[in-house]
Amino acid sequence: MTAMLASARGPRTGVIGKLRRLNWWIITSLTVLALIGVAMHTSVSSGDATALKPLTHGLRYAALLFIAIAVALFVPPRSWYLIAYPLYATTMLLLIGVELVGETRMGATRWLAVGPVSLQPSEIMKVAIVLALARYYEDLKPGRAVTLLWSIPALFLIGAPVALVMHQPDLGTATLIAMAGLAVMFLAGLRWRYIIVAMGVAAASAVGAYYFALHDYQRARINVFLGLADDPLGEGYHVLQSKIAIGSAGLTGAGWRQGSQSQGDFLPEKDTDFIFTMIVEEFGFLGGFVVVAIFAFLLWKAVEVATRARTMFGALASAGVAATLSCYVLINTAMVTGLVPVVGIPLPLISYGGTAMVTIMAGFAIVLSIDLHRDQTGARGILW
Amino acid sequence: MTTTKRETGGVFNRRAVLLSGVAFGGLGAVALRIAQLQATDLFSGEWSDRAEENRFDRRVITPPRGVLYDRFGVELATTRRDLRVSIIPEDVDDLEATIGAIAQILELDANWVRRRVREARNGKPYDPLLLRQGLEWDQFAIINARLPELKGVIAEDTETRSYPHSLVFAHPIGYVAKPTQREIDRVLAEGPEGERRAIYLRNPDVRLGKAGIEKALEDVLHGEAGWRLVKVDANGRPVGEDSASLNPPKPGAGIVLTLDADLQKRAMEALGEEAGSAIVMDIYTGDILVMASAPGFDPNLFVNGIGQRDFDALNLSERHPLYHKSVTGTYAPGSTFKMMVGIAARRAGMPEDWAVSCPGYFPFGGRNFHCWRRGGHGRVDMHAAIKGSCDVFFYRAALYAGAERIAQVAREFGFGQRYDLGLPVRDGAYLDSMKQGIVPDPAWWRSIGRGQWTDGLTVNFGIGQGDLQVTPIQLAVMTARLAANGRAVVPRLIREGPGVSDPPAFPLIPGLDPAHLAQVRTGMYGVSNEGGGTALSASNLGLVRHPETRRILPLTPETARYEPVRIAGKTGTAQVRALTAATRGRHYSTIEWKYRDHGLFVCFGPWDEPRYACAVVVEHGGAGSGVAGPIAKVIMHDTILKDPARLQPRTLAQLQAQSAGAPA
Repeated sequence: MTAMLASARGPRTGVIGKLRRLNWWIITSLTVLALIGVAMHTSVSSGDATALKPLTHGLRYAALLFIAIAVALFVPPRSWYLIAYPLYATTMLLLIGVELVGETRMGATRWLAVGPVSLQPSEIMKVAIVLALARYYEDLKPGRAVTLLWSIPALFLIGAPVALVMHQPDLGTATLIAMAGLAVMFLAGLRWRYIIVAMGVAAASAVGAYYFALHDYQRARINVFLGLADDPLGEGYHVLQSKIAIGSAGLTGAGWRQGSQSQGDFLPEKDTDFIFTMIVEEFGFLGGFVVVAIFAFLLWKAVEVATRARTMFGALASAGVAATLSCYVLINTAMVTGLVPVVGIPLPLISYGGTAMVTIMAGFAIVLSIDLHRDQTGARGILW
Repeated sequence: MTTTKRETGGVFNRRAVLLSGVAFGGLGAVALRIAQLQATDLFSGEWSDRAEENRFDRRVITPPRGVLYDRFGVELATTRRDLRVSIIPEDVDDLEATIGAIAQILELDANWVRRRVREARNGKPYDPLLLRQGLEWDQFAIINARLPELKGVIAEDTETRSYPHSLVFAHPIGYVAKPTQREIDRVLAEGPEGERRAIYLRNPDVRLGKAGIEKALEDVLHGEAGWRLVKVDANGRPVGEDSASLNPPKPGAGIVLTLDADLQKRAMEALGEEAGSAIVMDIYTGDILVMASAPGFDPNLFVNGIGQRDFDALNLSERHPLYHKSVTGTYAPGSTFKMMVGIAARRAGMPEDWAVSCPGYFPFGGRNFHCWRRGGHGRVDMHAAIKGSCDVFFYRAALYAGAERIAQVAREFGFGQRYDLGLPVRDGAYLDSMKQGIVPDPAWWRSIGRGQWTDGLTVNFGIGQGDLQVTPIQLAVMTARLAANGRAVVPRLIREGPGVSDPPAFPLIPGLDPAHLAQVRTGMYGVSNEGGGTALSASNLGLVRHPETRRILPLTPETARYEPVRIAGKTGTAQVRALTAATRGRHYSTIEWKYRDHGLFVCFGPWDEPRYACAVVVEHGGAGSGVAGPIAKVIMHDTILKDPARLQPRTLAQLQAQSAGAPA
């Protein structure tokens, strides 16, 4: 049957045909963002001709893109569906492993050493939670997704890793996992009345968390953000410097490699969490707007894949990846512009560092795969 | 059975659109936030200003300190080029090797290297550490040439305060030094303004006046600091300079003193190894031409911090080189006070020809008051008593006058008061603060709780001993007032400077009878010009006056026929211990130095047209005629020969025009 379809559709099958049918809008957007990253890392390293950061960034993206395309071509949604639970379970075990034998860096226990490789299981969880929830809702009988009772297992799926990651402590990643998971629950159709109640409970528990669950440094950041504490050289320094750089940039900015605040080292973490600030300082409001717009376009394309998907699994998985991306971008840009408290979340594809890029590229490999295989009737019988 | 997309697709799509809308809204909010931050900046400049604040460090430029000149424009305190070498420890790879290399160039030993390496390790790594200053030009050039290999080393061409005449003017001018921690703490206590000032004071180039004119006129001399903006990175490391934003410092005002550098130098030479003071005044203007204190010290030692060993050597010496003896040294005036007693006695009604018989002692109140001359002077009137410095005459003259009248005359002639010379007056400093001295009288005696004044005290008062305490500058003022025929001459040390105006014509001392004055003046003439005078050795200055041109000329065979220049003077001996039979008559050199009497000599001249008054005090110099007289003679010789009062002084405007024209 597959062969018959293939012959009927002609060039739509086979590797070449599949390549042609890949969502090139998404691939192009990802690549443009990664190239912006290369440009910014070149600027960060200005004056140092031997700096490897821009090259590393570009090569890392190229490698990940190659893998993502290969995965999209050869790993169909059915396989994602099948590995969803085992992946989730394994990641949970790894998170527990981190709790027990994790490696501590800079006061946080996030890493697990496996031979020479250190790995952050909390990052894998960002993808795993989306797949697990997508599968959970795929498997539910019609109508049950909207009920409170059948939402409880989903909440547990989200709550368990969030609690572990919070304990590391890694507020940023925990927030991302929770928001991606909750977004999937919302998209699956949970009744509004529960959502509204849940939001009330969430607000209450946020206050509770502030007093009981947060670490002192986390509380300090929030205090500074809320204006309860004045600390220009401490927790507030990062955001103050960021606001100075953004506020003084003007419409078109200081120009590439000309940003005085970034180049003079006044802006901390400029190659990681605060790279968006550097973009705005050097390319102005327009530069910042273009970057935000590309992310918005990417988000739109991912949501489009979700709405086109024929299966609940495909729709929820794509939407979950889109939600994860949105959370990354929104939290990061809102943080550097002083709209939300400082949370250590990088700007995907642009910030230097492999972890977030691997997570995002893994997510988009799934999105590309779902999009590529959306018409594959062969998947039908296997998926349900 | 599982859920199909088709069954719930409507809800999913609606909610996906809703959620996307929220995300787009969030991204839009970020864009608006950027716009808002930038709009705020457009109106208030808030962020740009702070960006500039970040980027630029305001570096203080210390102002050039005002130059101090003598009356003829000789620079007494100036700003000198200073070549120095510093390191920024953070930038140095190997401290020992780098500092060692510099030590080799400067020919310094391993000890020096060790000390500097330790300092570098203990200090802040990014703060420049001064290794050495006052480098020779060729040393500086070698270091400059080797800078590329000496990473972290800075060779600086800067300026520093300099006293080119070393010890000659150390006391009147004083010196500058780095602000002390106590000074910084004091300004810090003054609130926010003080904090800014404290930051300025911590600048390694800032110096404050610590003594003398440098201290008293600090505000005038210091000038106002300027600043420049230096482009820095977040670590405060300079990465460039903004030449447009230079706010140059306002230099301190220059000051012209009344001193004459040649004569001052001569006076210091004449004082030699002695401890003491010499002052010369112009009796018409009150200008202090010489204000010498000995021994001197090199004020340059203090500018960049004096070592403990050097300081101890100065501070603990029994000759007190750090004391400005001219204004802080208080001595009993001894016989130099007898003119005051004579005037007071005449004012009390003593006849001009009043005479007493001097057997060498004066029995009074159950004890004998001795005359310095063991055998006595025989019968003496006032002229003879001043000339021969007869103590017995003045014991009795004092009783004739009464203590109150003597004290009044003493005050009329300038004792018991301070003068505004532009020198530190109080402020707790003990080394350089002008003293008031003491003119005792019965009221003062009661006020300090010693009860009833006795005639015995009056007798001692008659020969300038007892509680009477005067400073060399007061002795000079007294002499100047005697020389100026009773005009109340007021001394001044600053000729030209902010807030200084020409001296007024000095009024005559009210109530002073010219006949009384004339009598003591001729007595003083007798001291150094008539047989029996105690200072005949000071009589022959070796100068003559040309009868037509009135010019003073050195005595040579050709000029020998002209009238010699004469001076009038008075010797004095201030007892360090009460005059006893044991020390009386012994030559001073046989007594331990610190128990010897102080020698004093006051004089004025030329006798025919007085212009200069001079006072010399030599601590533990024995009788006034022995050491003080010859010193005064040397100084007066040079003063009268040069006759600086008749030479045109330089004005500040001329001097500044000249230095502006000179190559920098």
